Amino acid sequence: MKRISYILMLFIGFGLTQTLSAQDEITPERKRAIDSLAMEKIRDLGKYISIIGSKETPFSEAKRVIDRTLELFVDDAQMGVSSLSREEIKYYPVREYLERLMLLNYDNVTIQWFNIQYISDLELQPDGKYVGVITIYQRFEGTSDDGLVYKDTTKKDITVYVERKETQIGGKLIGFWDVLLGDVRVIETMK
Amino acid sequence: MWHINKKTFILVLISLFIGAGITGCKSKKKLAREQAAMEYQNKVETAKKNLKSIMEDNGFTLREKERILQDTKDMNLNEPEILSMIREAEEKIKLEKAEIRAKEEKKAAKEEKGTKETLEMYFNDIAAAPSVDMANRKANQALDLFSSPQVPVLIIISRSGNLVDYDRPTTIARYLNYLKDQKKNLNRIDNIQYDENGKISELELIKN
Repeated sequence: MKRISYILMLFIGFGLTQTLSAQDEITPERKRAIDSLAMEKIRDLGKYISIIGSKETPFSEAKRVIDRTLELFVDDAQMGVSSLSREEIKYYPVREYLERLMLLNYDNVTIQWFNIQYISDLELQPDGKYVGVITIYQRFEGTSDDGLVYKDTTKKDITVYVERKETQIGGKLIGFWDVLLGDVRVIETMK
Repeated sequence: MWHINKKTFILVLISLFIGAGITGCKSKKKLAREQAAMEYQNKVETAKKNLKSIMEDNGFTLREKERILQDTKDMNLNEPEILSMIREAEEKIKLEKAEIRAKEEKKAAKEEKGTKETLEMYFNDIAAAPSVDMANRKANQALDLFSSPQVPVLIIISRSGNLVDYDRPTTIARYLNYLKDQKKNLNRIDNIQYDENGKISELELIKN
């Protein structure tokens, strides 16, 4: 009887290992999907920043979008801010950065992100998370009614964390990839 | 002449009574047999009439036909003709059921296709809305199709065999805001689940 129990346990264990390894095995196709998902989140961030910065966005909408933007970041993430008029790069917690962006003293603000690409591919870390770095270029243009214009282009690096998580929805176990963004570091600021 | 003594007279009388009794019993049994045979014949006729009415579609619903068939079967008539008619009626009901099921499936598929197309249209309209107000109006209309604004929306990012990878789950209210903010509709509808009121209770999208 004992022997049968051992054999049974061995089989169950083997079955479980097989299932887990199927979950863990990241095929090139799955990896591409994860890379693309992370890239999509960065594009979403760029769009959110342009909405928050735009003077045409109603205040209530901007506040809502700030909340949505914060959901993209890890809790203690910081955002680098630079200017052509100073050497120093200031780092703000993301919420503070977004609120300052919303209240910028311009009458018209346009922000565009372009050349978004991985500079460091998502790599599996010992803690089971995938970490990578994506570079973006941000074109900022602020105009005052008196004709004053400030323009710059900033190259920024964004750390991306991707982790597989599970949740129950309608009694169904859902395995999903949670993409969270870390610090946004200013690399270069140019005219 | 005849001299019948008292004893003999009593014996004759008894014989007459017994004889009459036997004859009475015999005719009662015969009557009962005839009655049973008539009842059986009536049952057979009723069964035939019932089964015929099933075959001839006398305006009965499928449920009524099933009840009639069951009542007829419960008569337990072991007549070859009746048994053959029961088999025919069963076959007819089976066919009708299959037809109804096929019609229902077709109707459901049509409705689902309709909902899917309507929802796709809302998604596109929200993403392409020229103003926040317009996008909000369309989003509110789209929400009418759902059980609640909290209905889960799952977005498939990759699928290989049984292994499905999703994006972080969201709700329909948040997803509609996402379309409005991002002004892009990159996902298509993969699966819709409905509640008992025909409203969407779960939505599964897949990345294009």
